Amino acid sequence: MTVFLIRRLCGALVVLLLVSLMSFALIWLVPGDPAAAFLDASATPDQIAALRHALGLDRSLAVQMVEWYGRVLQGDLGRSILLNRSVSEALVERLPVTLSLAALALAFAVVIGVAAGIVAAIHHNRWPDQAVMSASLLGLSVPDFWLGLVMVLVFAVSLGWLPSGGFTPFTEDPVGWARTVTLPALTLGLVQIGFIARMARASMLDTLGQDFMRTADAKGLSRLHIVLRHGLPNAMIPILTVIGIVAGALLGGAVIIEQVFSVPGIGRLIVGAVGSRDFPVLQGGLLFLAVVYLVINLVVDILYAVVDPRVRLS
Amino acid sequence: MRQRSILGFAMAAAMLVMAQTPTMAQRKGGDIVIGISQAPPSLDAQITSAQAARNVTLHIFETLYARDENAKPVPELAEGVTVSPDGKTYVFPIRKGVKFHNGKQLDAKDVVASIERYRKIGASPALVAAIDTVEASGDHEVTIRLKNVQATFLDNLSSPRAPIAIYPASEAAKDAGKIDIIGTGPYKFVEYKPDSHVKLARYDGYTPNPKATGRDGFAGKKEAFLDTVTFRFMPEAGARSAALESGEIQFDETVDGPTAKRLGANPRFTVHKMVPFGLQVIKFNEAIAPGNDVNFRLAVQAALDMEEIMSIAYSDIYQMDPSWLYPGSAFYSTAGTDKYNQADLEVAKKLLAKSSYKGEKLTFIVDNLRANVDTATVIQQRLGELGIKVEISVADWPTVSKIGFTPQGWTFWTHGFGIEPYEGPGSVMAPWVNGLSQQAKDPEIDEIAAAFNSEMDEAKRKALFERFQRLMYDKAIAMKAGNYGIFQVSTAKLKNFKPYRIPRMWGVWLEP
Repeated sequence: MTVFLIRRLCGALVVLLLVSLMSFALIWLVPGDPAAAFLDASATPDQIAALRHALGLDRSLAVQMVEWYGRVLQGDLGRSILLNRSVSEALVERLPVTLSLAALALAFAVVIGVAAGIVAAIHHNRWPDQAVMSASLLGLSVPDFWLGLVMVLVFAVSLGWLPSGGFTPFTEDPVGWARTVTLPALTLGLVQIGFIARMARASMLDTLGQDFMRTADAKGLSRLHIVLRHGLPNAMIPILTVIGIVAGALLGGAVIIEQVFSVPGIGRLIVGAVGSRDFPVLQGGLLFLAVVYLVINLVVDILYAVVDPRVRLS
Repeated sequence: MRQRSILGFAMAAAMLVMAQTPTMAQRKGGDIVIGISQAPPSLDAQITSAQAARNVTLHIFETLYARDENAKPVPELAEGVTVSPDGKTYVFPIRKGVKFHNGKQLDAKDVVASIERYRKIGASPALVAAIDTVEASGDHEVTIRLKNVQATFLDNLSSPRAPIAIYPASEAAKDAGKIDIIGTGPYKFVEYKPDSHVKLARYDGYTPNPKATGRDGFAGKKEAFLDTVTFRFMPEAGARSAALESGEIQFDETVDGPTAKRLGANPRFTVHKMVPFGLQVIKFNEAIAPGNDVNFRLAVQAALDMEEIMSIAYSDIYQMDPSWLYPGSAFYSTAGTDKYNQADLEVAKKLLAKSSYKGEKLTFIVDNLRANVDTATVIQQRLGELGIKVEISVADWPTVSKIGFTPQGWTFWTHGFGIEPYEGPGSVMAPWVNGLSQQAKDPEIDEIAAAFNSEMDEAKRKALFERFQRLMYDKAIAMKAGNYGIFQVSTAKLKNFKPYRIPRMWGVWLEP
């Protein structure tokens, strides 16, 4: 198990190095800098040059890169050019927002997706199966920004049940938090439900056809007991893989959903940083997301090993 | 005679009643949430010229002079000004009894420190470039000496672009973006939640300008009735209008034509039209061929149907107007604009034949704002009819503005000029001085702009601006398509609102 973990961690470090190098390359390739966020079209080159100097953007890329790696190795992601705070502070401020959004979306997606997949597998080739598969295909095909706007029109504008956007921290008002996070989380989760449902169905179908399932059936156990007690745990490995992928996709999807619902999370921070060329935030944000993604994958890998000892042995 | 005097009396009485009505309806209290499309890059008013920042900061900070409803500079924190006969020394008596939001009384030291800070780190250093010295010549008097005569000095001092906001001296000593947000304006800063909102509250210690009688541009009597004003950052237009309809926000900074029409049909909302808000400019890169060929530029100018461009890019909210200034502006003129909106392909073809254009593909750079992309697309099609091949390159604003101020990589560039025509002739000419926007120096423009800046006689200045305008058309330095506006929508409960360059929340109130 230790060797397995060390191998995975080494791979993760290589990925992080690649992500940070790519974020630097992007900054070098993309024209424009934060001066454009401060100054308008009438700004003179002298004004822009003065601001670039004040912000330290006129130093060579190599110098900026060496400084940045030096700081990152000490756990310092640098200071935002626009936000008047450190990148770590900016990320930590927004982390609970994005995490709560992604966690709730994941909960929606897993609970509904796995349940729908099981129902479809049990009723293989009958109408519930076809209904679940059609709905999941629809869910997979719908763009999340469009779904978000439709959800706002239905639940916020027409019915007036939930707010159309914004965010209330859980610590300030738990009910307000639930009200503001429900629509974006549901939107984010709905798109992923189809993915999980299809995988759960396929995996469950495979498991239902196994000999031990027939044995359990022959013993006279109830259908529900057989499916949940013997079928589901054995069908979980592929589903876990998908949940890992979905968790990562949710963080990516949050970038768009946070824009649509005006949620002040990490996705919006990064989008804002792209628009204003707030390079430290962009670099720190990308590195942070990469770390989160890698941690999720690592946890999934460990869970495989826990669920299936064959993974450890191999 | 008697009949006429009775009629006159009746009319006077009616006007008195009408004038009284809003006063009687005024109501203190209430909270308003304004949906704005972008977050301000900073609330340090001096260091940013972004519209998103102005929306917020001009509620908090004030300047020595400010622009009135017609963009004329009038005293705000200054009581007035005495200019020396040589035009180089300006003495400003500062208003007494004005309190900052931290309770400190405004004095000359605050003004000096603020102007000195702007000279070091202000976002538009050109505004204060003519200043030689700034000193406190009394507790409530500031003397500014200029290096040379500058006719536009009061225009500069009152510019709302990146305002020369007056801070307490203690804050003015701080670096860019490090200040505590303390001003003298009608609203004080409460909180800033990144990517979420800025909240302001009415400043009950506000001292209105005693000489002002009513709301007047960025100056005048700034009476705040609302308890709080929250600017919520909502980049998605659909989300803003949904929030307005569901009552979460009470004011949407900008909506598109169809949404304005739909909401305007609902008695719960009031649609406000702000026309003109900007003018659509189409630039040439004169550093490289064929933009450096006057016949090519004149051919393009002759070919374009400006009405077609404006009606597609800004359907329902545009004005066909050839002047490089807004109607109502002191220097407004249509002199020298006979080449505007010719839409004449025959003339264009003859001019193109005389030009150096050889059928090569030309790059049209444009940012991703829909109206700008529409403008570029209409021009691309029109020029296609003329035989000019145009390729549109769309990118975000930082990318486009970086390329557009270099001499390579583009031939055409279109975007809006909003604040420049509002500020006046000096600001409209400035982008073309030293070849800044066209990437090639034009000695005649440089000479006109220099003469304009040092000419104190208003009639002569007007003549100089008209000469500039004629030159813009005769040489097709750049083209103006027309004036565009914006639709803003508020709850119908918001009373006495009048659209302006920012959504002014003074002089307005909410009905229950």
